[in-house]
Amino acid sequence: MTRDGWWFLALSLLFVAACLLELSLGPMRIPFAQIPGGIWRYLHGGRGINDVVLGDIRLPRLIVAALVGAGLAVTGTALQAIFRNPLADPAVIGVSSGGALGAVVAMGWSVTSRLPWVTPLAAFVSGIAAVELTYRLATRNRQTSVYSLLLAGVAINAFCSALISLILTLSPLQTMQQMLFWLMGGLDGSTWLHGWVIGAVVMLCSLLIGAYRKELDLLSIGEEQAHGVGVHLQRSKRAVLLLSALLVGVCVSYTGVIGFVGLMVPHVLRMLIGPSHRKLLPASALGGATLLLCADLVARMAFLPIELNVGIVTSALGAPFFLYLLNRQQGSHSGGRRGSHERT
Amino acid sequence: MLADVHLQMRVGQMVAVVGPNGAGKSTLLKILAGLWRPTSGRVWIGERDIHRMPAKERARQIAYIPQQWLDSIPFTVTEFVRMGGYAHNASRQSVPLSELLTQLGLGEYADQPLMRLSGGERQRAILARCLYQGSEVVLLDEPIANLDLFYQLEVLVTLQELAKRGALVVIAIHHLELAMQYCPTCLLLHEHRVRGFGATADVMNETVLQEVFRIPVKRYQDPFNQTLRLSYEWEEYRT
Repeated sequence: MTRDGWWFLALSLLFVAACLLELSLGPMRIPFAQIPGGIWRYLHGGRGINDVVLGDIRLPRLIVAALVGAGLAVTGTALQAIFRNPLADPAVIGVSSGGALGAVVAMGWSVTSRLPWVTPLAAFVSGIAAVELTYRLATRNRQTSVYSLLLAGVAINAFCSALISLILTLSPLQTMQQMLFWLMGGLDGSTWLHGWVIGAVVMLCSLLIGAYRKELDLLSIGEEQAHGVGVHLQRSKRAVLLLSALLVGVCVSYTGVIGFVGLMVPHVLRMLIGPSHRKLLPASALGGATLLLCADLVARMAFLPIELNVGIVTSALGAPFFLYLLNRQQGSHSGGRRGSHERT
Repeated sequence: MLADVHLQMRVGQMVAVVGPNGAGKSTLLKILAGLWRPTSGRVWIGERDIHRMPAKERARQIAYIPQQWLDSIPFTVTEFVRMGGYAHNASRQSVPLSELLTQLGLGEYADQPLMRLSGGERQRAILARCLYQGSEVVLLDEPIANLDLFYQLEVLVTLQELAKRGALVVIAIHHLELAMQYCPTCLLLHEHRVRGFGATADVMNETVLQEVFRIPVKRYQDPFNQTLRLSYEWEEYRT
């Protein structure tokens, strides 16, 4: 087996292990040996306590966590290629903060207790709108420069955050708590319906992004290089951005903002299995799913019986990782000058 | 940026685009490559307007190598060169990739990441990708900048052979003497306009060079290998 083959095997094993732990651990421990039986009985109408905990709570949660993690990581991989920037992640194109704004507005509008699907819908629509706005702001004369895109993304993010803070401040205490909880990102209350919707969207968008693997390889080298060998820049960039927005929009709308998964996973995997998107995209999907499952385990188990929001865990992991990346980049830029510092 | 450019270039030609910084060399190449749209005017290849061709179809006929210092590319040489085949559907390849790499002396680096190669070898890999693309028209923006003498000559000789085999090679180049030696045709740009286009020896005469580059230039024949040489007299000009 090749070196990459071993990495895929290792990732798969990690993923399976994370799945088993996610199903087994919790306020009520279910031994590994009883898991297959429990799921089998649930699917055939069994309603023992173990069967229900597995089938109604943990399995949908596992599915949502794995899919959202995979989706965020795939999107992060694609965006890092397009922006040619290892620090890019789904948040940079404005979809996360746009989605958050929509959700907060919907909650403040207080129809959500009667119509629970309004929050996801609002988050989704405003997420996509934020991406579209970012894209329009960055486009001049039918050309979209990645620098303008990054800057426009920063501006849109800041603007959305300001509006969110404003709404939070003006809301009654109870609504505000609900909003804050959503903003921190969580997987609790995942149902089979969430699983189906997110599953369909994540699978479809990931496969379509996968169809652009060659374009992503080329874009990651440079836009002009990519153009030189025949990549239709505008079309590929736009397609991948829209697919990313759709994917992340749907995820954010159900789970709230879960940061840093899309940043960390592709970065680590690129170091392990190389830059080619043919391998990197599936590996990222697997790695993202595993990471979010692990983060969810920590969120559920660290402060039993209190459950943390999974977004807190990923951010706690992500912030030091971000600093490590920053440090590494600076190191590679100033490496040549280090000698002269030592002399002085 | 550019105005009044009316040119016709043919396959088999090797054209040097020369001119001072900011004269519009890169702009011209970008427009010829279809990367930038001219605000007015057209670029034709045969009967077709290149800005109206599908990107892949255009790339099968025109290869463009921008001026970019590729020093952080994690792809291996093989992966990088194979990207040249993007515009072609999977099965085409007149030259097998490994043979091409051996020809260009890259055989032993095939599985090395591009960023571990030296500048000269990297430029070879870029040429290899360009050859793998197999286009009839090849546009290169400053292909010999940052290279030592050995690789400068190697790149130019490779391109010369490409032109002899029936390609149109257009390079932006700052090195006037090398341009005179290796490029039979020359396009001189000055202040966004065409100052001369034709046989290099005619275009690069002393008066024009002096005016365009603002330096007194003398042309002479090298007694060693009979090539045309230029000597510049900076001091005389300054005083």
